[in-house]
Amino acid sequence: MTRYVMVIDLNTCVGCNACMAACAIENQTPVWKSVWRTYVHDTEIGTGEDVHRRFFPSLCNHCANPPCMTVCPTGATYQREDGIVMVDDALCMGCQACALACPYRARYSATYEDIEIGRRFYGALMRDRPSVDKCNFCAHRVDAGQEPACVETCVGSARMFGDLDDPNDRISQLVKSGIARPLLPHLGTRPHVYYIDDLKRS
Amino acid sequence: MDATITYETQQIWTSWFAVYLYLGGLGAATLTVTFLTDMYLRPYKELVLWGAFSGIVMLGAGSGLLFLHLLDHMAAIHVMNPLVLFEKPDAWIAWGTQFISWMMIWGFIYAFPYMVESDFLRGLPILGWVLGRPWVMFLAAHAGNHFRRTIGWLATINGIGVAVYTGLVLQSFPAVTLWHNPGVPLLFTASAFSTALAYLLLVLHLVMNREEDHPIRVIYERIDLILISTELVILFSFFTYLQSGSESGYRSAELLWGDLGWLIGFIGFGLLVPFFLQLKGVIWRWPSRYPIVASAVLVLCGGYLLRHYFMGAAVFAYPG
Repeated sequence: MTRYVMVIDLNTCVGCNACMAACAIENQTPVWKSVWRTYVHDTEIGTGEDVHRRFFPSLCNHCANPPCMTVCPTGATYQREDGIVMVDDALCMGCQACALACPYRARYSATYEDIEIGRRFYGALMRDRPSVDKCNFCAHRVDAGQEPACVETCVGSARMFGDLDDPNDRISQLVKSGIARPLLPHLGTRPHVYYIDDLKRS
Repeated sequence: MDATITYETQQIWTSWFAVYLYLGGLGAATLTVTFLTDMYLRPYKELVLWGAFSGIVMLGAGSGLLFLHLLDHMAAIHVMNPLVLFEKPDAWIAWGTQFISWMMIWGFIYAFPYMVESDFLRGLPILGWVLGRPWVMFLAAHAGNHFRRTIGWLATINGIGVAVYTGLVLQSFPAVTLWHNPGVPLLFTASAFSTALAYLLLVLHLVMNREEDHPIRVIYERIDLILISTELVILFSFFTYLQSGSESGYRSAELLWGDLGWLIGFIGFGLLVPFFLQLKGVIWRWPSRYPIVASAVLVLCGGYLLRHYFMGAAVFAYPG
């Protein structure tokens, strides 16, 4: 069984935002209203001369126990066998319960107005119905044997993508070593995006 | 993973959702209380017609408000299908939609025999003609004579379901400490039935105003007093629960108990003042109906304020 996960090394993320651009073009996200499937937060930590600038990429955590899927009343949010949490635009009625259920702020609304703007912005648009959308690990690329667009474009190799169930995969080794850890594990969502901390370097 | 946390209140389900929760709970509980009164206290045609129609209008208006805020209205057909409960038994909005739909259907059917008997409704232009048809009168008599209690209990079960659902839907969001706890369904259910009793007290005092209704009014006042007390106990539990355990909860407590609208508007005028007005009425009786009328109006306003502040004080803790 395959279980896709992403590991993000905060030590090597340089904040170039190439992942955001690659994702936006690949998945035609409504960037005109500053909405992204993945977003790199830029924070200064510390005071005086002892300041650390942290670039923190966030995205859907493809939880094993996804609250966005539980609250979805139509079954529009569903999970594949490989763990990728997907959205079926045809089933989504846009109640936005999933956006409230997600503790990682990974869901965004794509409205009919966005579809109109998107047609002019991107030319041809893959979407023809509104939905409360999110990252899907570029499932269409993964199915074709490629990596997600954000991983492929990352100049610092901060984003790594792999199979948690493959013991020989470096991703699974990073997770099992405990160096890469998930966000908000106390909520019981069992997230499958892991981070390597940048503030614990000696 | 130690991430920087940003605390934010949600801006997705705002006041309009508070109105949806309020009308849903109030409408469903009004229908339930009306039918239980009709089944077990005494048959009361006028109260059933008032309760059923106002309840159905409230449920319809609340559901309409939610429908208007959907991104894709056509896709709502998926959640209207009763089979959705087999596909998504874990989604409370699916249950809520079914409870509300069936509550309106059973509520209408329960009131149907009384509609046929109502001179006012039979005098209306189109409805009156329909209600006068022999087969309609036969169906109404059949439903009223043979299935009244069955239909009444089907409506009651769905009514309780709607009231509980209004709390469970908020409880299903794990990122918000204020919402994600078992106190919310209890509080919202107590509030739904309290506001429904207040509404029916207004109907009994201001619309019916009959001396023979006194025993019903006394029972309503006593049950409402118990429900208001229950709400106060649950709110005290919320106050202590939010003081420690999570930053999200602590910030929600600061927002709620630091706001005069919550403290004076909801807890003061929406709960404590009605509590003492009704307590005095239960123990010594009021010489006039107006203190109870005032109490009922305050309870109704408080019911909305509860949901309004609960939506506004939901604090998310976002990593980033």
